[in-house]
Amino acid sequence: MRTRTLPGPRPSAPPTAPKGAAAGADGPGPVRHRLAERIAPYSYIAPFFLLFAVFGLFPLLFTFYIALFDWNPIGDRTFIGFDNFTRLWDDGRFWNATRNTLSIWFLSTVPQLLAALLLAHLLNHVRLRFAGFFRMTMLVPYITSVAATTIVFAQMFDRDYGLLNWLLGLVGVGPINFLQSTGASHVMIATMVAWRWFGYTTLLYLASLQAIPRETYEAAAVDGAGGLKQFWHITIPSLRPIIIFTVVTSTIGGLQIFTEPLLAGRATPLTCGPTRECQTLTLFLYEQGFGGYEFGYAAAIGVALFAMIVVIALINYLLSTRIRSER
Amino acid sequence: MIKSFSSRRVTPVILATALGLAAVGCGGNSSSGGDGNSFEFWSFSGINQKAAVEKYEAANPDITVKLTEVGTTQETAQALTTALAGGKVPDLVLIQGDDLPRFVEQPQNFHDLREFGADERKDDYLDWVINQSVARDGSIIGIPTDVGGMAVAYRTDLFAEAGLPTDRDEVGALWPTWEDFIEVGRQYTDATGNAFIDNAPTSVFYQAVNQVSQKYHDADGELIHDTNQEVRDAFDLALDAIAADISAGQASFTEGWSAGMQQGAYAVVAAPSWMLNSIRSNAPDTEGNWDVATIPGGAGNWGGSYLAIPAKAANPEAAWAYISEMQSPQGQLEHFLDSGALPTTPEVYDDEDLTASTDPFFSDAPIGTIYTDSLLGLEPFLIGPDSATIGNEFLNALTAVEQGGADPDEAWDTALANIRTAIGQ
Repeated sequence: MRTRTLPGPRPSAPPTAPKGAAAGADGPGPVRHRLAERIAPYSYIAPFFLLFAVFGLFPLLFTFYIALFDWNPIGDRTFIGFDNFTRLWDDGRFWNATRNTLSIWFLSTVPQLLAALLLAHLLNHVRLRFAGFFRMTMLVPYITSVAATTIVFAQMFDRDYGLLNWLLGLVGVGPINFLQSTGASHVMIATMVAWRWFGYTTLLYLASLQAIPRETYEAAAVDGAGGLKQFWHITIPSLRPIIIFTVVTSTIGGLQIFTEPLLAGRATPLTCGPTRECQTLTLFLYEQGFGGYEFGYAAAIGVALFAMIVVIALINYLLSTRIRSER
Repeated sequence: MIKSFSSRRVTPVILATALGLAAVGCGGNSSSGGDGNSFEFWSFSGINQKAAVEKYEAANPDITVKLTEVGTTQETAQALTTALAGGKVPDLVLIQGDDLPRFVEQPQNFHDLREFGADERKDDYLDWVINQSVARDGSIIGIPTDVGGMAVAYRTDLFAEAGLPTDRDEVGALWPTWEDFIEVGRQYTDATGNAFIDNAPTSVFYQAVNQVSQKYHDADGELIHDTNQEVRDAFDLALDAIAADISAGQASFTEGWSAGMQQGAYAVVAAPSWMLNSIRSNAPDTEGNWDVATIPGGAGNWGGSYLAIPAKAANPEAAWAYISEMQSPQGQLEHFLDSGALPTTPEVYDDEDLTASTDPFFSDAPIGTIYTDSLLGLEPFLIGPDSATIGNEFLNALTAVEQGGADPDEAWDTALANIRTAIGQ
């Protein structure tokens, strides 16, 4: 089965060049061979696209369809056009969930990326014993089940019996009721999210930091640049692509935060607090779909969320191309 | 070698992949097969359904019950909704009373239990309980397994410390009305500095609002939650309890609530019959320190569940055989003696086993008679598909006052506005 077309060590010549060469003497015929070669790559990537069509594209399109109905999952379905969307526009709960989502996303992403950047810089430069151990430890939160993390954190943040309020009590603060205040509940959820992704982001940064040749730093040091100047003029510019990548992925992930708010507010799981203090968009969607059995309305929320993600992805794209062209 | 990449070979690869995917896609529809000797049963977690199932299997050795404890009552209803929409359903499912109306509205999803002779057994059950599972077309969707009944569980040791009586009859006599109950709470809190109740929304509002003649609907099914004075009174009672500062502010079934129960952070929990099991499992070290007294305000019911058979069940007969045996008056009586779940079959309320039944965890309180007394003479009210949502919004508005410092004067209007948005009216 081994042929030159199989993936393997990259050929030294540009990928377009060997095509003609491969269609040389040993094939059954140049025309037929070329056809096979043209089809083969598509069959390699086909599984992904087929899976995507079944589990990605079809549900997406079907969601658009359901959003036009008053859709009871176990009963009647009535076509109502765009009524779900006008209702959504006038629904204060939707805008509340949007505000919550953006706030939690901001609180979890910005400090997390900054801290990860700093820590990666340290891990890269400071001579650490057991560096491998520390690097691997960073991944532990990422591979821990979200549900387990959330339940432990929720206990730490508990008003009467939580570790955090006990510590705050020692210095005479609180107790803070984290689930009953919009700001505090956002900090709580954002902490859980940041905790999970912090190590992963740090490792990504660390990996690209290690790709920067040491000579660059040495040359800068010879020229008299201190640690801060090196960080600002070498580290940051070299990391630009990966920083953009982490911003995009954490934005898309941040807009879909679900498990943390669902499990943090055990008393009011579907709303995350009695007055929807930390209800995110996905949790609002779930509340409407599976709490109220309004699949059509839930689908409309899903469509709105999709539109928001597309807009933010576009802004990201524009920003990142601008940054790249400025380089 | 290159031949192997001819288009003739490539096409089957793609086809095989596509077929493989198609097979995966169909996997969800295959049913477990109707062999008649086994059936799938979805129940709630935390109610020890396993004990009843094992008992049934021991009595019927040729039958296998595949029991799944899905989760909370709400999670079980959600899973059932998804299952009904998706096609792969259990043979038997337990539905909590608050979730039931949504399913009764769509009876085509379930077997009409009259097919199995349920109409002949209908008179065995409290009429207002089984009537909640009768659909508009007359079909019977579910058989009631238990009812709530209402009482108050209290800590005798903490009451003694506060200088209050500890005898259950004397305690019950302290609070014929909810106003008296709040006053006793004030005395307790003044004497001990500790909270009296776990939380006001559940232990006051949810109890008082279940003692009404009409709740959120009138007899014709029209919504009256916003104009019904009885609901407003129950709501105001909870606000009074919050203002009296007698509540620990621990929402029911949360970690803090369990911890508070273990540590005696509050002395009283409103206890529908099913709550006794919850207290027993949450605070096992407090055994013997609890007792049960009558609830202020008289008769009432909160909770209770129903067994239903989805229309697409593979083994409906086996599922019905289970209902038939376990939910007969005798079966419910035995279940009560095992677990404390209150029977829905009034003919056993006079049974000596029930009236003589006491619970050592609760200072040998005669739980059989306390709860059945709270059910007799009950005026049933109508429960509609939006009842659970409405109740939840009232509860949330009260919790926001109790824990989040929301303005109590605006709580009622906030609740009504939230209900309007939630039910789209």
